[in-house]
Amino acid sequence: MHISEGVLSPAVLAGGAGLAVVGTAIGLKKMDYEAIPRVAILSAAFFVASLIHVPVGPVGLHLVLNGLMGLLLGWVAVPAILIALFLQALLFQFGGLTVLGVNTVIMAAPAVFCFYAFRGLLRRPGTPATVGAFACGATAILLSGLLVALALITTGQAFLQVAKLVVLAHIPIMIIEGIITLFIFLFLKKVRPEMLEGIYA
Amino acid sequence: MLERKFKVQSSKFKVGAAHRHNFSLLIGKLRHLNKWAAGFFLLLSFGIFSTPALAHRVLVFAYAEGDTIQVEGKFVPNTPVRQGKVMVLDKKTDKVLLTGKTNDQGKFSFKIPAAATAQKLDLKIVVEAAMGHQGQWLLKAASYLPGMKKASLAPAPALSPAVAPTPVAPGAKTATVDAKMLEEVVNQALARQLGPLNEKLAEMAVHRTTLPDILGGLGYILGFFGLWAYFQSKRKKDT
Repeated sequence: MHISEGVLSPAVLAGGAGLAVVGTAIGLKKMDYEAIPRVAILSAAFFVASLIHVPVGPVGLHLVLNGLMGLLLGWVAVPAILIALFLQALLFQFGGLTVLGVNTVIMAAPAVFCFYAFRGLLRRPGTPATVGAFACGATAILLSGLLVALALITTGQAFLQVAKLVVLAHIPIMIIEGIITLFIFLFLKKVRPEMLEGIYA
Repeated sequence: MLERKFKVQSSKFKVGAAHRHNFSLLIGKLRHLNKWAAGFFLLLSFGIFSTPALAHRVLVFAYAEGDTIQVEGKFVPNTPVRQGKVMVLDKKTDKVLLTGKTNDQGKFSFKIPAAATAQKLDLKIVVEAAMGHQGQWLLKAASYLPGMKKASLAPAPALSPAVAPTPVAPGAKTATVDAKMLEEVVNQALARQLGPLNEKLAEMAVHRTTLPDILGGLGYILGFFGLWAYFQSKRKKDT
């Protein structure tokens, strides 16, 4: 999901950075004192998740976990993802500092969207919540893939072609992330329901 | 005295009991935390133990072998970039010198363009993989010029005096030709033998993610949020 340095045009980079700043500001405003440890843990999880290599598909892929971030954090996922991406760029050379804004939007926007889209489903007991958790994890990846394709339009690559490629390549990840999100959701619901308070707020 | 000793012993015993009691409490607490912590650490350990299996970055490295340059592109850790677009640019002006495609092993090789040798250009080699991934490698002129055959250098128009064949006195002609031929043969043999070594070196120059990177990153994240929490707590107290 990380777009490399030197691929995108300055206009796209600036646009991405602007959106990321706005999102981060909203996220920070919504992050209350009690939420900080939770955000830190999830940011750390996101940071290492990108190292989990999934050896399927034509290119090497890794976990993203942005659906899970959205599910648990809502808007606060934006600063959490921004920090993790910043450190990934610095320490792993994933993405890069100039593309940080665009990459943040690519991964955080679907997280926030999925939070609001699946909140209703997740609040309900039983099967709907389970389905919602899976869909939240899978949809976030799908949307991220589409955003990658969108960002690459400006480089002269045809949207449909790239979108098809990205989405097809990420189908295994969508399924895996759906399952991971589902299990973590069920686990937290049983063991730490207070982690899920964002959904009910 | 005996009494005192007894007392001491009993108090010791008490301490021991209290200790044990505390310990069992701790175990109980731990067990409570267990499920939650286990999940988190499982996730973390995934990350740590799968470090050699990194994905998602395009590594590019290139080295000269005689008058050709070998380029290899791969996704970390080891998946070749198949049919990736290769662009060779002049580092200073970003002018594209030539383009190509990697084969199914992620490799691409090209003859060093005459313009590059003539102006001693540093080459920027970019490999573009699908989905917005790309990587690059800088090949300095100094690292490919010495390995080139004199023959291929000769037709280049602007030769520096250092590499130009030195004017030869008629008497010493056979000797210099031999020397030249010898040099060429040695150069070829060296290029052949140093090829794999160069490849290895180029590969080693690439930064790969290490455990300290990961732990350091986690530390930074906890530190950032710790700072944030600190300032928030201050503000909370003040108001």
